[in-house]
Order: sequence, then C-alpha cells, then structure tokens
Amino acid sequence: MPMFDYVRAKSVAEAVELLADTQCVSRPLAGGTDVLVQVRHTPPTFQRLVDVSRIPEMKIIERQGDEICVGAAVTYTEIIESALLRETATCLVEASRLVGGPAIANAGTLGGNVANGAACADGVPPLVCLDALAHVRNSAGARAVPVADLLSGPHETMLQRGDLITHFTFPVMPDGARSTFIKLGRRNAQAISRLNVAAAGALSSEGRVIFARVVPGSALPRLRRFVEVENMLIGERPSEALFETAGAEASRAMVAVTGRRWSTEYKEIALQGLVARALRQVFTVEN
Amino acid sequence: MSHITQPLEYVGRPARRVDALGKVTGQAKYIADYRVPGMLHAHCLRSTMPHARIARLDTTPALQVPGVRAVITSEDFVNHGLYGFPVRDKYMLAWQKVRYVGEAIATVAADTPQAALAGAQAIVCELEPLPTLFDARRALDPDAPQVGPDRNDGQHPNLKGDHMLVRKGDAETELANCPIVLDRRYFTDWQEHAYIEPEGVLAMPTPEGGVVVYAPNQSPFINQGNLAMVLGLPANLVRVIQPTVGGSFGGKDDIIYESSAQAARLALITGRPVRMVFSREESLVASYKRDAMHMDIRLGADRDGTLRACWFRGILDSGAYASETPFTAWRASIHAMGAYRYNACDVDVYCVYTNNGYAGAFRGFGNPEVCFAVEQTVDELAEMLGMDPIDLRLKNCLRLGDETAHGQKLNESVGLIECINTVRRISDWDRRRAEYSRQTSTEKRRGIGVAIMYHGMSLGAEGADHAGATISVLPDYSVDLTSGLTDYGTGSRTVYVLIAAEELGVNPDRVHIQRPDTNTAIDSGPTVASRSTVLGGNAMRAAARNLRQTLDLAAADLLRCDPQQLVRAGEAYVGPDEEAVAWEKIVDHAREMGLILSAHGKWEAPKIVWDHHHGRGTPYMAYVYGAQVAEVEVDLRTGNTQVLHIWAVHDIGKVIFPQGAYGQLYGGITQGLGYALTEQITYPEGYIQETNFESYLIPTSVDVPEITAQFIESAYSYGPYGAKNIAEPSLVPTAPAIANAIAHATGRRVRELPMNLERVLLGHDLQPPFSRKPVEAALKIPPRSMPQTAPRVYA
Ligand SMILES: Cc1cc2nc3c(=O)[nH]c(=O)nc-3n(C[C@H](O)[C@H](O)[C@H](O)COP(=O)(O)OP(=O)(O)OC[C@H]3O[C@@H](n4cnc5c(N)ncnc54)[C@H](O)[C@@H]3O)c2cc1C
Repeated sequence: MPMFDYVRAKSVAEAVELLADTQCVSRPLAGGTDVLVQVRHTPPTFQRLVDVSRIPEMKIIERQGDEICVGAAVTYTEIIESALLRETATCLVEASRLVGGPAIANAGTLGGNVANGAACADGVPPLVCLDALAHVRNSAGARAVPVADLLSGPHETMLQRGDLITHFTFPVMPDGARSTFIKLGRRNAQAISRLNVAAAGALSSEGRVIFARVVPGSALPRLRRFVEVENMLIGERPSEALFETAGAEASRAMVAVTGRRWSTEYKEIALQGLVARALRQVFTVEN
Repeated sequence: MSHITQPLEYVGRPARRVDALGKVTGQAKYIADYRVPGMLHAHCLRSTMPHARIARLDTTPALQVPGVRAVITSEDFVNHGLYGFPVRDKYMLAWQKVRYVGEAIATVAADTPQAALAGAQAIVCELEPLPTLFDARRALDPDAPQVGPDRNDGQHPNLKGDHMLVRKGDAETELANCPIVLDRRYFTDWQEHAYIEPEGVLAMPTPEGGVVVYAPNQSPFINQGNLAMVLGLPANLVRVIQPTVGGSFGGKDDIIYESSAQAARLALITGRPVRMVFSREESLVASYKRDAMHMDIRLGADRDGTLRACWFRGILDSGAYASETPFTAWRASIHAMGAYRYNACDVDVYCVYTNNGYAGAFRGFGNPEVCFAVEQTVDELAEMLGMDPIDLRLKNCLRLGDETAHGQKLNESVGLIECINTVRRISDWDRRRAEYSRQTSTEKRRGIGVAIMYHGMSLGAEGADHAGATISVLPDYSVDLTSGLTDYGTGSRTVYVLIAAEELGVNPDRVHIQRPDTNTAIDSGPTVASRSTVLGGNAMRAAARNLRQTLDLAAADLLRCDPQQLVRAGEAYVGPDEEAVAWEKIVDHAREMGLILSAHGKWEAPKIVWDHHHGRGTPYMAYVYGAQVAEVEVDLRTGNTQVLHIWAVHDIGKVIFPQGAYGQLYGGITQGLGYALTEQITYPEGYIQETNFESYLIPTSVDVPEITAQFIESAYSYGPYGAKNIAEPSLVPTAPAIANAIAHATGRRVRELPMNLERVLLGHDLQPPFSRKPVEAALKIPPRSMPQTAPRVYA
C-alpha cells in the first residue's frame, strides 16, 4: 500500500482550504470505495487525502422550495432511507439500492460517484435524469454546473485541482411525474453495470406525454440525456409501440456516437429492451 | 471385539463442526496470519510472455536492492526442480523456457514485502518469444508449435500422457442403424477455484539442516516427497504441516508445492524463516484452473426413446503444464456418456498442451465438463421425440444390476432412479413443465430443466487407493486423532471425530483431531476425488475399533467378565453386576495393565481393473448418483438469467455428518451456478483478463437461489456405515440443469459455458479487446518490460 497523508475536514471551508494547499497535493476522500481501489494498482497522484465524509453541510437531504438538495457526502444507504427522496427521486433511490452491496452502499457517496467519472456509474444517470446541478467550491469561489456538463469522458471530469462538490440540487419534477432506474449487470450485486437506464416522465390530463427524461448509462463515453428519444415521446400517447420505437431510437442514438464496438451487437438489442421497459414503468398507469 | 449392537449415537446426527467456532471468531490462523521472528518475505518474478526462451537471467541486480537476502532460480534445485505427476513436465522455477504468462522464473527473499518486490523487479530477464499455441483443437496438428516436452514414443509432443478411451461394441455401426441421431458440439470454459484464501507458504530452516514447511496443501505427503527430491534432502529432514486452509476445491496442488520449494530453498540459503503469500491478482494469474474442453457428441436412439449408442470426442485444453489433467481426461472419458445404458459406446479424450495458462485438479475433475454436453444432448433428444425429459432419463438410466458402458456390473448402491423420482416430485416438475411450456411473454419467461449424473468414487484406476489414521488417549482422557487427509473446509475432520466417537462410545467433545503433519500422520494418498469420508473414514473406523478392543479388554478385566457381556451406558461401561464404571476408570485400569492406548487403522479400497488400451473394465469401486432440477427466469430482452430454485437429490450412501453434507451440496450448487452463468476466465493471446473478483464473477448471496435438497441413503457395503461421498458430485449436474431450463424458457440452446448475457441473448459470446494491463497490474510489472508487440499467434 502506498503512503500518503490523511486529514479529516470538519467544514467545507476547512476542506476547501486544505485542498487549495499548494505545498501538498490533496484530493477529497469520501467513502474511499473508488480511491482505495485505485491506489492498490496505480501510484497515487496525490500526497494527501482530505476526508470530507463527515462534514455536516455535505450530509444534508432537504427540500428548499421547489428544489431538492442532496449533500455530496450523502451515502447510498442514506439516500435509500430518505423518505423525501423516495417521494421525489425514485430513480435515485432505486439506483442506490443497486449499487455494490451493503458495505459499499454504507460508505460510497454520490459526490464520489460523480467525481470518479466512470461511464458505468449508477448514481450519475439519475442525477442527470433529474436535471441536477453540482455545486462546486474552491478557494476562488463557488459555481453550479449541470452534472452532465461536469463529465467529459470515461474517468474524466471538468473538476480542477482544489474543487470540492459540496451538494447537488434538482428541481422537483412536475406533478404526477414518475421516475425509475433499471440496472443490467452480470450478477445481482457487486456488479458493474453493462447498461443502465434512468427515466422519468409525466402525462397531461389528456394522457399525453408532457415530460420525459431518458438517460442510459454505460452506453456512451460521455453520459447525457437522450434528448432525441425524449423529443419523440413528447405529445404522444403511451403505448407498447411507442416504448419500442423509443427503445430503438435510443439504440440508434447510442450507435451513432459509439460506432460499432465489440459490445454493440449485444448492447443495441439490450438497450432497446431496457429503455422500453423503463418507459413502460414510468408511463403505465396501474389501475 | 465387542458384539454390542446399538443404534448409531453420533453418526448421522446433528453435530457441531470442529472448526466452526475458530473460524467464525477469527481465531483460526491461516498462513497470511503467521508471523515468526526474523521472517523474510518472498516474491516471484513471473513470465510476461506466453511462450518464450529465457535468453538471459541475471539475478545479481536484485541482490543489490537494500533488504534483499537471497535470489533463486531453477539452478538452485536438483535437476532444475523438475517435478510433476503423472507427467513430469514442470520445474519449481522455469528452466530455459516459459510456457505461460505468470510462470515463476525467480524468487527473491527480503526483509520486507516491498524489498522482495523491488528485488524481483530488479532482476534482468530477457525473454525471446517462441511460436505460440492457443487453439487446443489444433494442438495435435503435425505443424502445431511444440509446447510440451519432447516425446520419444511417437506420440505428438503436445499430447499429455495417453489419449483416454472407452469402447463398447461398434458405435459407428450402431449409430448408422439408429433412426434418430443427434450430433452436437459443446464447449466449457476455464474456471477459477476462487478459494477465499490465496496461496501462502511458510518455510523454517531446522538446526539439523532440514526444513519445516507450513502450507495449505492438497496433499502434505506429496509436497514432502517433492521437497526432498528437489532440495536433495532425505525425506526425514523435510516436514510439512498443514495449517487451517481457506478452501481449495482441488486448487492447492502444484502451485503450493512450487511455492513451498521456493520458500524452502530460500530458507535453507538464508537460515531464516521465509514466507510467501500471493495477492488475489497474483493467484489468478499464476495458479492453475479448471480445463477448458471442446466436445463433440453423437447420440443414437430408437423412436421410443431407447438410447443405443454414444460417440464422444473431447479435447481438453489444460494449458502449459499437465498437472493432474491427464487424470481429469481419464475421469472425463469414463463419464462422457452419462449415467445411461447403451449397446455401443465410443469415447476418446485428448488432453493437450497450449499456452493458455495451465489447468489442474478442480472439483468434479472432468465430469462437470462432459455432463454439460451429454445432459443437454439427452434433453434435445427428448425434445425431438416429444418426450418428457425425465421420462426419457428414467427409461435409459443406470439401475441396480445394469452393466455400465465400460463393462462394470452395478451390484449395489444404485439410487439414481430414486433420485430422479424424488426430484421430480419435490420440484413439482410435471406441473411447472406444463405451465412454463405455455408462456407467450416477450419480456421474461420461465423454464425448468433437469440433469442427472453419476460420479465414480475416489481415485478408481488412477492409482493405489488407501488411507491410514491414528488414535490415542491422552493423559487428560481426551482422544487424539490424526489423518493423512486434509480438511480444506469440507468438514472431513468432523466426520472423523464423529466416527471415532461412535466406535469408542465416547462423547465427541472428548475427541480432537490434529491437522495433517508428515511427522505424525500416516500417508493416505492425496486429498482429492471426494475420497476423505470413505477412505479416511474407514481408516479412522479401523483405528478406533482397534483402540476400542483394548479398552474393552481393560473393562472386562476390571469388571471381571467376558468382553461380550459388557454394555455401555453413555460413555460408561456396565458389566454383569449392572454398576456403571466411568470411561476414565477404564482408561486408568488399562494403563495399570500396561496396555498401550494408541492404535492405528488402515483401509485399502477394493481392487480396480482398467484396461487403458481397450477402454474396458471396472473404473471405480462404486458410484454416487444425483439429479438436479433448475428453475430459471430468462430476460428475453437482455439475456439475463435468474436461477429461481434448485432442487437437488443425491444418493451419497449413509450421511455421516448431515450439516456438513448439506453444506457441501449447497456450496457445490453455488459453484455450479457460477460455472453455469458468470464465471469466465479468458486467455486472449495467452494473457488472462480476469485478475480479481470484479471481473471474475462468483455468485453473491443474492444470486444463489432457494435450494431444496435431499439425500438418498443407498448404503454402500464398503463405505463406513454405508457412506459414499458428496463433495465433487454436488456441482456436476448444476450447469446442465440450468442450461436445459434456459432452453425450456427460450426455445434456444446455449452450448457453451458460461451462459453469460451475450450467449443467452445472441447465441454466441463477444470478445472484448484484449489487454495486458490486468496482468501488468497483477504482477506489478513496470509497463516498459512488457512485450510491446503482440507475440506471434499460431494460424
Ligand atoms: C465492491 C465495489 C462495488 C461497487 N459497486 C458499484 C456500483 O454498483 N455502482 C457504482 O456506480 N459504483 C460502484 N462502485 C464504485 C464506488 O463505490 C462508487 O463510485 C462510489 O459512489 C464512490 O464514492 P466514494 O464516496 O467511495 O468515493 P471516493 O473513493 O472517496 O472518491 C472517489 C473520487 O471522487 C473524489 N471525490 C469524492 N468526493 C468528492 C467531492 N465531494 N468533491 C470532489 N471530488 C470528490 C475523490 O477525490 C476521488 O477521486 C463500487 C466499488 C466497489 C469497491
């Protein structure tokens, strides 16, 4: 195990100051479920880990007017246990239930999931689906960036040295909206997503789609909303045919970006099925 | 011997595993927990090429690394450390050539693990690539690159040992006359044992110039023999002691002996204890696996479903070294036709060299591979004939009095029909089968499938089959046992304790069992082939009976009666005057009489006759049987397969330690589930891709289905109390049962293992781009020393 320093920050201000230290290259540490796996094989690019996992300001889950605020150090277990999120962000709760296993859910955080930047991350598609903003602080100040814009490629983000994600906010979805998350792994726990889908939607009183979000994960090198799929849903009446067409469009859109890779033969079929299934869950009204 | 007959007191009743408490409280110590003063740490330099000549090997730079105490190569062993059984083809450290990525070339001992690693990295090792062979099906082509050692018997050097065969009648002609013939091709992939404890050894030099080695051996006596041979020491200066073992599944053979030899030589050179412990990544790269097998099978039948002929060709890819795989090939050949009657049968199995890692012993030992092929083919036959798969099996399966395809008459203990009928009933087969046949959903469908199997007990014609045990009463009146067979977590130590307690008529709490130690235990052959309960159990029973005889004599003397008049009340002895005398009193009296309260017992399996040239004979003393039914739900949109339920009924003879037996069955089914669906080792261009458990996927607790299990206790007269065995057979039918269930659900056959997402959805696997990174990271190789151009690929 390589050697590095460790310090626990008690507040965001202290963490930001420690991260800005030019004498000592520092990186945030939250649950450590990515960092500690990485240093096992790759020599660390930092000299110190600044533990942000117990900063109270980064642990909040609350409603602020029309917005929901979730601290970056909130763990998956805390998300699963939150009544507020169960009500307002089903897709995020469902995703949290499917992350790793109990130990990982107890330690791993949403901030770590985003900052780690893996294309197969399960926490990120729900955030993008919810149109979440990441609130980033550094010694120069604070900024809010759409989560989708933070991601620049597999294991690459727009975060700079010294940046700390403090929390995420997302608007409360329209009335009657529902969201869901589906994960496809090679086994039922401790599995990297081969594909996943976060989706959300709402119907007008006439039963037409007025709100739609479709965010496949593990599908593109850079995660984003599939606006082309969302647009074709708007104004339509939900039907099996519509879900399948949307699924096919999602596959087409994926292949248009990735080209034909080794996994495309599989993923283009599976993604169609998953997107159709997610939309069915979101739009099918149970009697 | 006393003639008291009583119902069994401990055998077959609930009992506590002797090692349970230590393991759950963390008191059990594994090699990685051992620390002794002055201990050095060892680390291996391993090959970065799948096939290469060692052009230059200079260890002197390693000796310059601070903390490094010694470095060894093949030059440090007698005859370069050549060893191996049944084929002597491997060196304790590579000599002149390397044949797989991860093969050990040199070993460094240093004050710290970091210094040992730095030392290994400092060694100058130049490898000159040789032509490589990765496709086992081409290994015996005349122009295939030679991977195996030269042979002077006219056989292809890439053939390991002899080719294995079974012959009955004229299968080609019989097939030609069958109205129904199926011709199918199957493939089973490599499987990793995934023992929770990676390899580790600790060697300590002795003042006499010998060495004591602690190692989680498959067989401590084989390790001792190898060590004496390659170190040039008399065997009595080499002592091998078995610590607690964290699982083996057949995986702690050669790789442990090699590590032992390296650590032992380093200990002898430095005069200090030397420990070597593998990381999980190193374990996955360096260790042997279950072989991959290419199989072609033809089954011929009448229209009424009567099986008539089986023709089978198997090519067993066991990689760069033979290890135990010639025996695997033999067991595969014996079981290739499945547990059925045929008029004619023709089986050939070829075990070949390639540069794909290497394979060795693994639970099931050839049978899981061939069972996957034959049990699916039989299912397809049922489908073609419009017969229920269970009815077809009942019509053809082996029964008491039948003769097997090899010519063995089955005279006793054949519980297969009962297994099949029971599993049919408890799984509610007929209802589910009919119900699932009517599904129309295009999202998810359920299916139910069956597989049956038989499995030869113990070594069979592989070699001498005997075991020994010792028993003695210690001064504190506890009873001390030794066995030459090791318990990797299988529960055999508890089995022995129960048998000894039963025979002596004492409480099991009084009985303690040592772990094997070559200085105290009796060589009992290898702990393989699920042979511990029968071989070791019979030996323990004989030992305990010998001691019991002595104690009965003492009791008769004390109670002034004939031994036959003695009865037991609990542990106490009761004579004609009906007064109970404590067991301790009897022990005291025996000592006063000058009797020796220790004994040993030996047991030898009935003789086996097998004609390797004609493929006929009696391959095993007897067989265990089993039938499993799997219920699955397949996601038709993604290929994801959920196994919902497994029903398993196995005829294992008398059950001695029920929780242990069920534990073996549940564990075997779990390992079979992984083999079926998720566990996959790939060697593109010889470089293993799966080097940890994030990519090598064993089932988690939420993947394991509900398991309903039952035993049929069809007594075997040579087994202790009628016992047979369970360890390996438990996993044999799991994968084909799941495969048959998938076919029932989807209407499509998957003929390759593992039945991963791609194979279930598309019908074939997809190849990710290959990378050397996992190996680099696993072996901590600085990237520059990895070959930059791809090695030449054969064809
Ligand atoms: C066994 C196992 C199973 C897993 N299963 C899954 C799974 O199913 N799905 C999944 O998505 N992931 C999975 N992961 C990956 C990991 O658990 C998640 O990505 C987790 O969310 C990471 O959070 P963390 O708090 O542990 O991050 P850490 O490891 O602490 O940090 C990860 C990265 O983020 C940075 N960072 C952390 N917090 C902040 C912050 N507030 N601001 C800026 N940068 C920050 C760190 O510097 C580091 O670069 C698994 C990991 C393991 C070991």
